[in-house]
Amino acid sequence: MKVRILWLFIPLLLGCEKTDREKKITYEEELYDESVVTASLGFGLLSEYGFFEGELRNLDPAKNVFPYELNSPLFSDYALKRRFISLPEGSEVQYHPTEALDFPVGTTLIKNFYYDDDQLTGQKGRIIETRLLIRKEDGWQALPYVWNEEQTDAKLEITGGNQEVLLKGKKPINYLIPNVAQCKSCHELNGKIAPIGPTARQLNRDLEFSGKTYNQLTNLAEAGFLKGLPSSGIPRLARYEHPESGTLDERARAYLEVNCAHCHRLEGPAKNSGLYLLASNDHSEQVGIMKSPVAAGKGSGNLKYDIVPGAPDKSILVRRMNSIQPEVMMPELGRKLIHTEGVKLIREWIEGMN
Amino acid sequence: MIPVKKKSEVTFLFNFIPFNDNPMINLLKKLTILTCQIMLVTILLVSCDSTPRYEPTRDYKSIEKALMTEFLLAKDSSVIELDGGHFIFKNSLILDSKKHITIRGKGMDKTVLSFILQEEGAEGIRIANCENIVLEDFTVEDAAGDNIKVTDTKGITFRRIKSAWTGEISEENGAYALYPVICTDVLIEECEVMGASDAGVYVGQSENVIIRNNKVYWNVAGIESENSENVEIYGNKSYNNTGGILVFDLPGLTRNGRNVKVYNNEVYDNNLFNFAPKGNIVASVPPGTGMIIMATRDVEVYNNKISGNNTLSMGIVSYELMAALSEEPEGETSTSSAKQVEENHRVDEQYNPYPGKVYVHDNEYSDYSLIPNLDSDFAKLFVLKFGMDKPHVIWDGIQSPDYLLAGGEVNPDYRICVQEDGIKTAILDAANMFEGLETNPTSLNCSL
Repeated sequence: MKVRILWLFIPLLLGCEKTDREKKITYEEELYDESVVTASLGFGLLSEYGFFEGELRNLDPAKNVFPYELNSPLFSDYALKRRFISLPEGSEVQYHPTEALDFPVGTTLIKNFYYDDDQLTGQKGRIIETRLLIRKEDGWQALPYVWNEEQTDAKLEITGGNQEVLLKGKKPINYLIPNVAQCKSCHELNGKIAPIGPTARQLNRDLEFSGKTYNQLTNLAEAGFLKGLPSSGIPRLARYEHPESGTLDERARAYLEVNCAHCHRLEGPAKNSGLYLLASNDHSEQVGIMKSPVAAGKGSGNLKYDIVPGAPDKSILVRRMNSIQPEVMMPELGRKLIHTEGVKLIREWIEGMN
Repeated sequence: MIPVKKKSEVTFLFNFIPFNDNPMINLLKKLTILTCQIMLVTILLVSCDSTPRYEPTRDYKSIEKALMTEFLLAKDSSVIELDGGHFIFKNSLILDSKKHITIRGKGMDKTVLSFILQEEGAEGIRIANCENIVLEDFTVEDAAGDNIKVTDTKGITFRRIKSAWTGEISEENGAYALYPVICTDVLIEECEVMGASDAGVYVGQSENVIIRNNKVYWNVAGIESENSENVEIYGNKSYNNTGGILVFDLPGLTRNGRNVKVYNNEVYDNNLFNFAPKGNIVASVPPGTGMIIMATRDVEVYNNKISGNNTLSMGIVSYELMAALSEEPEGETSTSSAKQVEENHRVDEQYNPYPGKVYVHDNEYSDYSLIPNLDSDFAKLFVLKFGMDKPHVIWDGIQSPDYLLAGGEVNPDYRICVQEDGIKTAILDAANMFEGLETNPTSLNCSL
């Protein structure tokens, strides 16, 4: 009899199995006419700005366009970046000890995202997109330009887009070119669009360009643009990819600052989380140590704290860096791949805590 | 009819109980096995039957680029009209730094924005740094994270919005269905909200909030007001959630909450299993909870109908109790880590982990079940302490160091008053292993 009872319910038990997630979702594709978007937001083509001389794809800067590198760059699916600042003739940039330098109206920050031939498999190296941050009278404006297949120019696409990228040793990815609003999801300070990278501590390093090596800040000052540069005591952020540039703690904190703190700071869009990751923050709970999540949802993944000292596998921070699910991963935007080297760095840092 | 082979497989399950020669013992064992099987089958059946499913028919179409463009280029003081239909998106729709915009559909269930194939962004619709935004008459469903998140916005109205996750409800569902955070002047009305693996209607770190006349079900927390000030929650039906209405204050956030009124709501049958991922505070809400007021001051709860919540109609608790309910079992975290947690709570000087000035009165209570839903430690403890006669309203009794004034009287900032007819109340004395547990304590009989 006991057997019969159980047997009776087997079909019902099977009926409990979930089929939702296997369900194929089909939909009618959108027929979208690009030319409908005649946004008067900026030039239609990148070439129209005149930032570069000669063939556009060579990115040879014109006068008053300065190349720069950061000590610790944001991870963007292993894309390489070439950055430039275009400054109006005779204008002044004010030094700031903690925030991005104060750039004058008319400044454009130019960031080109590209892959080299030897990073890709079955695809040729190419420039994918160029993101502009333009300083206008009433604040900064973000505009994404998408390069054409011929690599002769890039076109303004306010809705951004996607491109398949085949990186060696990785799964094919659907690389995201952010739309105008997504740009601001990261470039936000006190509710307004703002540059993130060009702080004094990020720019304070040498650059090799056109056969010369020079300190980027000193160079800008000598060119007559940068004002108020102190003669000593300029802060410098560690280069997380270079162990000789700082201690493990300094490099881990530099990594978290550049990849997280644009949102995770008191003035950023993730202030509601109570997790503040600027490298200068020394409040251990705000940095995540034994801090309970606030509104992490699935991000918590059944873990209790952002960082459990000595236990990277119990730390939500590592779990979210180590995910590519949109609702789990951090940062929320701008990557389709796990940054293995970044995860390794943060794991080591947490492992070493006691 | 039944193959013998199957029989042996089934009995194999119970081979761990060896049979022996004593017929009496064998009979007992057989009975035990039978009981086990019936229980097993019942549990499986119940868990199968009681997991709600939402399976609307959908015929998706993409309008992503076109609608995204409208959002991006919307002029201040304009209306974005949404057609009827089921529209599918791979990215979040973002509205940033706009003023006086209405986004209007053709009606709940007529205009459906689905994020079931979401690839980018954690929320379906994201509204940030705006002023006076109205969302009305459409459905948002299946975002990877939160269906609609609104942040740093002054003036946000959700009106007749349905926010849901399709399929069987599960931990895989997104966290929040309607999620204004760090906003002022929030109105959420006549919405229907279901399936959130954290809170359905969730207002966090906001000021001047009205949540009224909504239907909220199948979420872990139905309605949650967290660290928010000047909040009125009324006329809502919150049912079939794990917990009906929560008024919480958490440490370490941009602001603390106070002045919350909860009235004229129907809070019933909140007995759903808890499907929140652990680590989130609502994961420690016991199934069968009507309302919890945690660590918030100036809270008045009246004229609500609270019924059929099988574990607890209303709990007034400190953050310490909720934190204890979610803590790792001993040995899981190191002593230094535990110290760090304590240190963290101490460092946030603005935060007060104890409830105070809480006035609960003139609510109507009825229960359907004598025994609570036993899925939580809290409920087991309840049975142990109260048997079949559990209290309707409890205060955990964990007192602030400032609870008593120098003269020995209760500090008015920490008064808890419960004036209700014909119900059982209790102070648990949870800080002292329930040693000083009091039922129907006269000290709760006060008004504010």
